[in-house]
Amino acid sequence: MKNPPFIYHRPESLAEALALLAEFGDDAKILAGGQSLLPVMALRLGRPDHVVDIGRIPELLTLDAGPSGTTIGALVRHAEAERSAAIATHAPLVAAAAPHIGHRAIRTRGTLVGSVAHADPAAEMPAVCLALGATMVAASVGGTRLIDAADFHEGYLTTALEPNEILTEIRLPAWPDDAGGAVVEISRRHADYALVGLACIIEVGDGSITGAALAFFGADSTPVRVADAEAVLVGRPPAESAFAAAAEIVSARLDPPSDIHGTANYRKHIAGVLTRRGLAEAAATIGVTA
Amino acid sequence: MSTEQVNVTINGLSHSLDVEARRTLADVIREDVGLTGTHLGCEHGVCGACTILLDGQPARACLMLAVQADGAEITTIEGLADGDEMHPVQRAMKEAMAFQCAFCAPGFLMSTVALLEENPNPSAEEIRKELSGNLCRCTGYQSIVAGVETAVRLLSSTGTAGVNQ
Amino acid sequence: MSIQTSGLGFVGQSVARIEDDRFLVGKGHFVADVQPEGGLHAAFVRSPFPHATITAIDTSEARRLAGVVAVYSGAELNEGTHPFVPFVASPGSYSPLYKPMADEKVRHIGDPVALVVAESRRVAEDAAELVIVDYDLLEGVGSIDKALAPGTPQLWERADGNTLHDHTDTYGDVDAVFAAADRVVTLTLDSHRQANQPMETRGTVVEVDPATGHLTIHNTSQGPHVLKWAIAAQTVSQGQLRSLWQFLRNTQRRKAFFAAAKEFRRSNAADLKKQDNAAMKGQLKKDRSLLKHLGQMGLGLLAKDDYPTVTSVDIGGGFGSKGPVAREDLPIAIAAMRLGKTVQWIEDRVENLSDGGQAREERFDVEMAVNEDGTMKGMRVDAIVDAGAYPSFPFGAHVLPGMWKVYMPGPYHVEAFQLRTRVVATNKGRVVPYRGPWANETFVRERAIDAVAAELGMTAADVRAKNMMTEHDAPSHFLTGPTIDETMSTRKTFDRALEMIDGDEIAQMKADAKARNHRVGLGIASYHEAAPGPPDFADAMSPGAGMLTKEDGRATVEADGRIVMYTSQVPHGQSHQTTYKQVVADEFGVSMDDVEINWGNTDKSQFSFIGTGGSRGGPLGAGVMRKTARQVKNQMLEVAADMLEASKDDIQILDGNIHVSGVPAHGLSFADVAGEVAKRTGVALGPVFSHAEKYEGVGNGGWSCATHVAVVDIDLDTGKVEIPKYLVVEDCGPIINPAIVDGQVRGGVAQGIGAVFYENTYYDDDANLLTTTYMDYLIPTAMEIPEIEIEHLETLTKGENDFRGVGEGGMIGAPAALTNAVSDALGIQVTEQYLPPSRILELAGVIDPD
Repeated sequence: MKNPPFIYHRPESLAEALALLAEFGDDAKILAGGQSLLPVMALRLGRPDHVVDIGRIPELLTLDAGPSGTTIGALVRHAEAERSAAIATHAPLVAAAAPHIGHRAIRTRGTLVGSVAHADPAAEMPAVCLALGATMVAASVGGTRLIDAADFHEGYLTTALEPNEILTEIRLPAWPDDAGGAVVEISRRHADYALVGLACIIEVGDGSITGAALAFFGADSTPVRVADAEAVLVGRPPAESAFAAAAEIVSARLDPPSDIHGTANYRKHIAGVLTRRGLAEAAATIGVTA
Repeated sequence: MSTEQVNVTINGLSHSLDVEARRTLADVIREDVGLTGTHLGCEHGVCGACTILLDGQPARACLMLAVQADGAEITTIEGLADGDEMHPVQRAMKEAMAFQCAFCAPGFLMSTVALLEENPNPSAEEIRKELSGNLCRCTGYQSIVAGVETAVRLLSSTGTAGVNQ
Repeated sequence: MSIQTSGLGFVGQSVARIEDDRFLVGKGHFVADVQPEGGLHAAFVRSPFPHATITAIDTSEARRLAGVVAVYSGAELNEGTHPFVPFVASPGSYSPLYKPMADEKVRHIGDPVALVVAESRRVAEDAAELVIVDYDLLEGVGSIDKALAPGTPQLWERADGNTLHDHTDTYGDVDAVFAAADRVVTLTLDSHRQANQPMETRGTVVEVDPATGHLTIHNTSQGPHVLKWAIAAQTVSQGQLRSLWQFLRNTQRRKAFFAAAKEFRRSNAADLKKQDNAAMKGQLKKDRSLLKHLGQMGLGLLAKDDYPTVTSVDIGGGFGSKGPVAREDLPIAIAAMRLGKTVQWIEDRVENLSDGGQAREERFDVEMAVNEDGTMKGMRVDAIVDAGAYPSFPFGAHVLPGMWKVYMPGPYHVEAFQLRTRVVATNKGRVVPYRGPWANETFVRERAIDAVAAELGMTAADVRAKNMMTEHDAPSHFLTGPTIDETMSTRKTFDRALEMIDGDEIAQMKADAKARNHRVGLGIASYHEAAPGPPDFADAMSPGAGMLTKEDGRATVEADGRIVMYTSQVPHGQSHQTTYKQVVADEFGVSMDDVEINWGNTDKSQFSFIGTGGSRGGPLGAGVMRKTARQVKNQMLEVAADMLEASKDDIQILDGNIHVSGVPAHGLSFADVAGEVAKRTGVALGPVFSHAEKYEGVGNGGWSCATHVAVVDIDLDTGKVEIPKYLVVEDCGPIINPAIVDGQVRGGVAQGIGAVFYENTYYDDDANLLTTTYMDYLIPTAMEIPEIEIEHLETLTKGENDFRGVGEGGMIGAPAALTNAVSDALGIQVTEQYLPPSRILELAGVIDPD
C-alpha cells in the first residue's frame, strides 16, 4: 500500500502555488496536512500527476480570532485551533468541534481548511462552517472569490472550488454574545467519523430563542441544515419541549444514507436524539438549563 | 518520479536524504535510516503503530510524505532511551507488563510520551481517550493504561516526560 | 499455591517480561524488519471480482516498467507446483485441491492472479496496476442461503453443489429423549464473519543461498515446520520415477527413512490403528488426482537433498491466522527460487482484510429438550459454516465439526445430543482458526440455555446450576467421549462468579438505568475447553488425532555451563521466553538469566504440526521444557554427585550453586560440572547434557474452565452499549506468570467485545467485500474496552505438570456472555451475534429496520 508516483511541487508563495494550479488544474492535488489525501493515495484511490504542497506558504498561516470574527488560514492545524484561547472565546463552535476530529496525532497534522475542502460529508468542520454561515475564500490566478458556506459543499467529496483554486481561508462571522453552541455526534467507536453529528447554535434573548442553526453531518452527501426545525425553535423558551419539537422535525426531514455502520432509519432517529442533546448542551454553555 | 532532498533530525542525529517524493516518512525512517522500531500496521492512518514525535507532537509517520518533514525534528521509539537507560515511560510499560506481541508498542509509547508532556497527571478516562488513536489487538488495553499510570508515578519522581536530545 | 518448584521460585510470580527489553526500545525483530541488502519486493495482482473466469492476462506493459524484475501470471507460477491438499479429512467431507495462485478462475475478491517482483514494493504496486486481466464474470455467492439455494453457481465442480461437508453425529437415543422431554425450545442463532486481525500483517522474506540454492524463509508463521514441508513438497517438479530412483540409490537416506518410518509406526501404533480411512476414501472418490500429487510430493521429498529453513524472531500477533500456510508463501518462494534472489512480500492491511484470515460466519438451528423443572435432557443442533472459497491448509473450516461435536453440550449433563454439520463454500476469504475456534459452541449453548430459562420462567443461573456438572462427576466421561476428571471445574468457577455478583447492586443499576432511558442486563456464560485436554479428547474429535498434538522440546547444558532450551513453540505475543525461563530456572535452581530459550528456527527446533496454537504454550510447551530440564538436571546431578563424592539425593541446586545440602560453600557451578564432562568426553563445544522428548501432557488432566459475567448498559436513545462490569472467573490450574495470564484473558475478552459490538467482515449477497480498510473493519480501542475483573481458581491435579492453557478462553466466553446480557437488558432473546447500535435499537423496538 504505497503511494503512486507523482511530481512534487513545494511553492514558497501563494502566487507560485496558484500558478502551478493554473498550469496543472485537474491533474494536481493540493497537499496541506495530508491526513485525508495521503490515505486516499496509499489506497491508490487517487493518483494525481502533480502534488502541490502548500505547507510552506507563510500567507496561509493566518489564525485571527476576535470579537469581529475569525479568520482561519489554510495551514491552521486542528491541534492549533484546539489549543487557541482566542478560538475558544471567539469561535467556540470551532473549539467544540476540535476534540471530535480524529485522534491527536491526526490533529497535529490535519488542517481545518483542508477538512472543509476535502468535503467528507461525515466531517465536523464543514457542518460548523454551515452552521456559522462562514465565508470561503477561494483564490486563483484570476483573483479571489468568496463563496457562502451554504453553496460550498455540492456533494460527496465535491465542492464549488474550481480545479485552479485554493481555499486559502475561511472567515467566520462574529460570535453573538447571547449564543450557545455545541457539536455532538454519534460514532461507532470513539473519534470515528460520525454516523450522524450536529453542529448547532442557539441565540437566546429575554428567555426565548431568537435564532437557531442546526447543521447535520453524516446525514446526507453534504452537511445540511434543517430550516423547519430551526424555525420551530424561534420564539420558544430554550427548554426540552422546544428541543423535542425540533428533533421530531429533524427526524422527519432528513434523508440520510444507509450503510454497513448504520441504517437510514437509525440515522434519522439519532439525528433527533442529537438535536435534543446538542441544543441542551448549547443552552447550557450560556447558563440555560433545559 | 521526482526526487527531493530532505534534511531531518532524527533522535538528535541529522540526516540529509535523497528520497522519492511519494515515499512516506515511515518508509524512509525504516528503510533509509534503518530505524525499524517505527512499525506499519495499516498504512492508512488508523492503527497508530507508526506514531512518531514531529517537533515534539505526535504524528502518523504513514500519513506524511518524507519531504513534508524537511527541517523537522523527529523522535522515534529508538530515541526515547538514554543509552542503555530506558526512558521512564519504557520502564513503566515494562513494570506494568503492558504489551504482548508489542507490534503496537512503539506507537503507544510515543503517544504516551506526548500525552504526559502535555498533561503530567491524566485521569484514566483521559488516558483512554488519548490512547484511543492506537490500536492493540492483544491486551484489551487495561495493562497499557496501567503502564501510563505507572509512568505518571515514575515521572512524578524523576521529572518531565520529554525526550533527551 | 502449592506447585512444586526448586530453587528461586519464579513460577507463580508476575516476573517482568524479558521480551520487553527489546520491544520497548524499538529493537524487536519482525519480518518486515529483516530487510536483506538487495532484496526484491513483491506485489500481487488480485481479483477485484468475487467470482469470474480468467480469459486472458497481459503482463507485457508491467514487465516494461523500470525497476520491474519479473512478472508472472498465476498459470506461470503454478507451473510445476502441486496443489494444497486436504489435510483434515472428516467423514462426509470433500475438500477441493487448489493451486497456490488462481489461474483459471477467481473465487473471491483478492484472489491472487499474478505476481510482480520489483526493486521496491512501490514499483511492484505500480506494475501490478499495469497487468491487464480479462475476466468473464460469474455470479458471486455471498451467503449461506445463496450457497445452498438450487441453481446457485458452484465454486468447485466436484463438490455436491456448494456443500463440502455434511455429516451427523449422534450421542444417545436422541429421538426417545426428545419425545420424553416436557418441551422442546428452538431457536436459530447466527454468527457473523470476523477477522483475526493481528496488528502485524503476514509476511515472508525468502533468501536464496547463491551457492547451494538453500532457502531461508523469514516468516510470520505460527507453524513454521508445516510451512517448511509445504514449500518443499509443493515445489517438487520431477516425476515419481525419477524421485524414486534417486531415493533408492541413496543408501544412507533410504536406511534413515525406513528406520524413521518404523519408529513412527511403533510410537504411534495405537493412534494409527484408531484412524478411520473412510473419510479419505470419500475424498478420493471425488478427486483421484490427490494420489498422484501425494505420490509425487512424497517421493520428491525423499529424493530432496535440502529443505528450506523457516525462521522468525518476533511475530506481531496471530490469533490463529498465521497458523495455516499463507497461499502467498508459495509464489514468493517460487519466484525467489527462479530468480535466485531474495524476494519479500509484506502483506498490506487491505490484503489482510481480504484474505488474511476470517472466521465464525456460522448458523445454528438449535433444539433443546427440557423438562418443566429446568432439567436439560437433550440437544439437537444443525450447524452450517460459511467456509469461504479456499480451505486453509492444514487447518480450516473442516476441523470445526470435530470440535463442536465434542464441546457443544459443554459442562452440562444431557442424555442425548445430535449435531449435523455442513461446511459450505462461498466466494469469500479463507476461514482460518480464530482464537477459541470452538467459541460458537459456547455462544450456541449458553444463549440457548438463557432462552430455555426465559421460556420456563426460571433464572438463567438456576437452569445452569440445575444441569452443570460438579467435581463429584469425576471420574467419568462426557456423553461425547472424553474423560471428566478433577480439572473439570466449570462449576467451581460458576459458583464463585455467582458469589461475586451483588444482586442488589445489579437490581439498583437496572432501576437507575430505566430512569435514564437506558437498560441494564446481566449475562453469564460458562464453558470448559481442552487445554490440552485428556488424551482421549483428540480421539473424540477424530480417532488417532492425538499423534499430531504431541509437543517436542529439548533441554541442554552446554560445555560452558549455559542452559540452552529448544522449543517448537512460536511466540507471537504469549511471552514464551519469559515464562519458559521461569519454569526452567526453577527446575534447575538457577536465575532466569542463566537460561536461554531458542525458538522460531526449523533447523533448531523439532517438528511440530501445530507450533503455537490451541492454548498449548503453557501446558505442553512449558510442560516439555520442565520435563526435559528435569532429565538434564538429573544427568548433571549424577556427575556432580560423583565430583562431590556424595549421594545424588543429598545434592541441591540453589541460585546455580550445586552443592551438598547444608554445605553451600563447597559447591560447584554449572560450568564446573559441564566442564568436567567436556574434559572426560573431549566435547569442548555444544551440549554435554541433552534430553529431548515428545510430550502429550500428564495424566487425564487438562480442562481449562471459566465463567464469564457481563453487565451491559444500553442507551435506548442511541443503541450504544457500555460494559460497566465484566468478570471472568477462570481456572487454568497453577499459574506460571499471573500478569501474563491476565493479559491473555483480557485480550480474549476484548476480541469478544469487538466481535459482538464492532467487528464484521461484511460481504454482500454477491460476495463483494465492503470492509477492506480500518475505517470499516472496526477494531475496538481503549475507549470501547472496559476494565475486566479476573478471579483465578487454581485447581491442582495429582499430575507432575499442572499447567493448563488459557490463551483461547477470553474469546470463548465473551460473545455468549455479552449477547446474554443484551437479551436480559432488552427482555428479548437475541439470536444474532453482531449487535451494532442500529441493530440494538431495532431489537429494542425503538426503530424499524430499513
